[in-house]
Amino acid sequence: MYPPKFDYYRANSLSEAFSLMQEHGGAKVIAGGHSLIPSLKLRLADPGALIDIGRIGELKGITANGNSTRIGALTTHAIVAAAKNLPQGLTEAAGWIGDPQVRNRGTVGGNIAHADPASDLPTVFTALGATINLTGPGGERSVAAQDFFTGLFETALQEGELVSSIDVPTNGGGSAYAKLFNPASRYAVVGCAAQVKVENGVCSAASVAVGGLTSHATKANAVEAALLGKPLNEATIAAAAAQISQDLGDDVMGDLHASADYRRSIAPIYVAQALTAAASRAG
Amino acid sequence: MPIQHIKVLRNGTDEEELKVVETTGLPTWDADTKFTVVGRPQSRLEGLEKVTGRARYSYDVRLSGQLYAAVLRSPYPHARIRHIDTTKAEQLPGVHAILSSANAPDDITWYEEKSKLFDKTLRFIGDEVAAVAAESEEFAQDALRLIEVAYEPLPFVIEVEAALQPDAPRVHDKGNRVDEPTIYERGNAAAGLREADVVIEQTYTTQTAVHNSLEPHGCTAFWEGDQLTLWESTQGIFETREQVAEKLGLPEHHVRVVKEHMGGGFGSKQVPWKQTVIAALLSKQSGHPVQLMLDREAENLAAGNRNATVQRVRLGAKRDGTLTAILADIQVVVGAYMVGGEASEVNGMYERLYRCPNVRTEQIGVYINAGPCVAFRAPGHVEAAFALEAAMDELARALQLDPLTLRNRNYSEIDQKKEKPLSMPNALQVCYERATAAFGWQTYQRPAPTGPKRRGIGIAAHEWGGSGQPPAYAWIKLNGDGTVDVVTGTQDIGTGARTGLAQVAAEVLGLPIEQISVHLGDTAKGPYSPTSAGSSTQASVGPAVFAAAVEAKRQLLEVAAKLLEEEPERLEIRDGVVMVEGEPENKLTVAEVTGRLAPHMIIGQGARGPNAKDKTIRTFGAQCVEVEVDVETGEITVLRVVAAHDCGRIINPTMVDSQVFGGITQGVGFALTEERIVDEKRGLVLNANLEEYKIPTVADIPQMTNVPVNLPDLAANPTGVKGIGEPPLVPTAPAIANAVFDAIGVRLRHAPLSRRQLLAALATQAESIDKSAPPHTQEGQS
Repeated sequence: MYPPKFDYYRANSLSEAFSLMQEHGGAKVIAGGHSLIPSLKLRLADPGALIDIGRIGELKGITANGNSTRIGALTTHAIVAAAKNLPQGLTEAAGWIGDPQVRNRGTVGGNIAHADPASDLPTVFTALGATINLTGPGGERSVAAQDFFTGLFETALQEGELVSSIDVPTNGGGSAYAKLFNPASRYAVVGCAAQVKVENGVCSAASVAVGGLTSHATKANAVEAALLGKPLNEATIAAAAAQISQDLGDDVMGDLHASADYRRSIAPIYVAQALTAAASRAG
Repeated sequence: MPIQHIKVLRNGTDEEELKVVETTGLPTWDADTKFTVVGRPQSRLEGLEKVTGRARYSYDVRLSGQLYAAVLRSPYPHARIRHIDTTKAEQLPGVHAILSSANAPDDITWYEEKSKLFDKTLRFIGDEVAAVAAESEEFAQDALRLIEVAYEPLPFVIEVEAALQPDAPRVHDKGNRVDEPTIYERGNAAAGLREADVVIEQTYTTQTAVHNSLEPHGCTAFWEGDQLTLWESTQGIFETREQVAEKLGLPEHHVRVVKEHMGGGFGSKQVPWKQTVIAALLSKQSGHPVQLMLDREAENLAAGNRNATVQRVRLGAKRDGTLTAILADIQVVVGAYMVGGEASEVNGMYERLYRCPNVRTEQIGVYINAGPCVAFRAPGHVEAAFALEAAMDELARALQLDPLTLRNRNYSEIDQKKEKPLSMPNALQVCYERATAAFGWQTYQRPAPTGPKRRGIGIAAHEWGGSGQPPAYAWIKLNGDGTVDVVTGTQDIGTGARTGLAQVAAEVLGLPIEQISVHLGDTAKGPYSPTSAGSSTQASVGPAVFAAAVEAKRQLLEVAAKLLEEEPERLEIRDGVVMVEGEPENKLTVAEVTGRLAPHMIIGQGARGPNAKDKTIRTFGAQCVEVEVDVETGEITVLRVVAAHDCGRIINPTMVDSQVFGGITQGVGFALTEERIVDEKRGLVLNANLEEYKIPTVADIPQMTNVPVNLPDLAANPTGVKGIGEPPLVPTAPAIANAVFDAIGVRLRHAPLSRRQLLAALATQAESIDKSAPPHTQEGQS
């Protein structure tokens, strides 16, 4: 297996990237290459030209800023996993992606721009209420994570735009991520991210999202509603987790590893796991 | 000159024995023998080469002007090639040779003559359509994309049940049954069932699993004039030579097969496949050396697999557990062709493992339009054990007996098929005792459930061959400096055969192992040795090395006796020094003796002698397993496995441990995750890769303990060694399934034990408990 022929361009700055993108219509942007290179080798993609943005320094790194932390799009999963100033639900999810080679190469921006339905980070960013910052030749704009993921491998990104960074709120309470691993690829068969706040012994804020189940990361509104104003214990968490079937509707997908029915049936378990861990971290 | 015993067929029936090489009168390593090298842990002699990446595998061969080949494979499970046009591919720069049904020799057949080398009828996805040799792998792949093929898709069949219907699409003209059923019966099985107080009747299925050797199949072919050399990833260099010579119409001495290092075969490389002859023909056509290695997809589509089975099992027993009948109706799903080599005899274990007067087995092979099966580590036995050992567990539960008690009650000390004694009648007993003692079977306290997690334990046993047999030959050459070359035509398929054979030679010759080199894996350099299959290399070739070393030592002592002015009988070699018994001062080093002789040379020749005729030689083993089952997610975690396997005398405990741990690891994969998945609608294999086909890695394996069972079996050979390569995989999966039952009270009868299957079984159990009046209904009770 080897990729079809392509021209390679390296952008040293964002502006250079945009002009290269304009010049080579149909070109693909490459950063870590963990999704793009396999699809090239399998001949599922034949873009003719690749624009490498991997060395653009302004897109790298993690910066804390008050109640929010900004993650540059080119930051690798390994860097995120090791970061101290990010919600635990995000760092643990990043640490469970693939294997060390994948985590050292794969980038956060590439991951969410690809929007694989079995990917972990879309679920986590959706639950954490993150903001995805996009940049294009016309300037910058921001999209809430829950609006960014729109379908199967589909996002709010428009032609000519790149993900530049992600702003993650750090004052949202305790957070956690739970997942059933695909035993071979380590992708999520079912993944759940949860963030909760506890005040006066009851849940004052809850944000929950699931992945691996439908075409894209999904906010679990019914689960959240069932938690608010309740003390967080085994019974209330189980009852709330059972609400996930409301949030999922009929759109659950199946594949050779797990049928839609199986995914649906175990989703509450991982919702409950994530909620239990998040509650224990809510202080 | 020594003589060997050879059986000669007279008039097609009578056997007469001729002596060619003497293999009797050898000393034996009995229970009292004191050892210095044998029985001690010894790191692999080639270990450093391997871990530093210097060891050369078939893929590493690089010859001047070498081309790289790629194969176009059928995208249809069943199709006819209407037309094939390779013109565009031929015109691609860098392409040197193309073979297809349009130009390949028409008289080379494969798969029991059911397919030509390039056949116009394709019977599975992955069947060879064309092959290209080009200056790089990439050129070859580009060329494949330029070959135009008009396929006529034909009706196909994937499911075994569908394949047996009268109106099913036919994989071969004569239908989908490989042959008439193989039927065995002793006593009266039907009557045995009638005598029984309790009958278990269940159907078990096992999946198609793929070998996934680290090193794929493949070879590099090179002609010098009319001499063909093949660097082939094979378990049998001589078998490959014989078959390639026959297919290509060459005399055997014009074909040389080399296999230096190998990344596993597990049975899939015990026969040559089409690609070997394709590489040779592409090399001939292009005038260049040609390398043809399979990629992982081709490896998992078209280079063999473990046949799926359907096994309907009936066991009958008296209240006290005594078996009155064993019946098994077995369907073996062979894929599109019979490949040759060891067939999967699922029936054998039913006939041998337990004492039972009334046994009937019926086995039939079924063709389907999918990649052909081939021997896979303990073929037949892995499949049979999954069913028989689970059925025995079900019987034990129905009789409210401990599964170990039931097994002991039906212990067989003889070979019931041949009505002969077993060479080691208590071997399985020892395995049971050691495995259960080390595991803590009798004293096991089930931990209280934590959340959705439930613990349970299970046991399973097995039997297997592994006696080794003639013929196998070895030479020992003593060099002037006292070092030794061991030369034999066997191959080290990754098991460590070099090291085990060196230990045998070092022990006999009284030399440190550093003074021994083992040369193997080359038909041009060593004498015949058999294919490394059936767990037999150490037990077949080891005794030949032993005999050669004994002969070399005899010659050495004769020379030393002259130099020391002593009788040879009074001499002994220890740690490289020839000494006179009782006179420690009177000695010479081996190097001093051989140095005085040089450049004359001592050469010992050895042959593997026959096995004892009056006894049946088998190997046995037992494993105990503890699992944890999550009743919410259906996940099964194997926590620990304790194994005890009889392999005769242990030459190298480290290598025996390696085989046991590797076998258990494959067993965990077979039990829990490994399964070739075929889309029934289109016949596509959905997971011919390692991303979607899950083999266990270090993150998935349990705590493993191998309890050594060192029972020298001198009926097998003078070294007392039997095989260990295949057996450790056999009992793992049924022991896991039995442990799952112990944990959650539901029986999973279909390998692999998927989460979906487990949850469905739990749901059915919950339903039946709701409906049934008596609260303590026991599953499996009849």
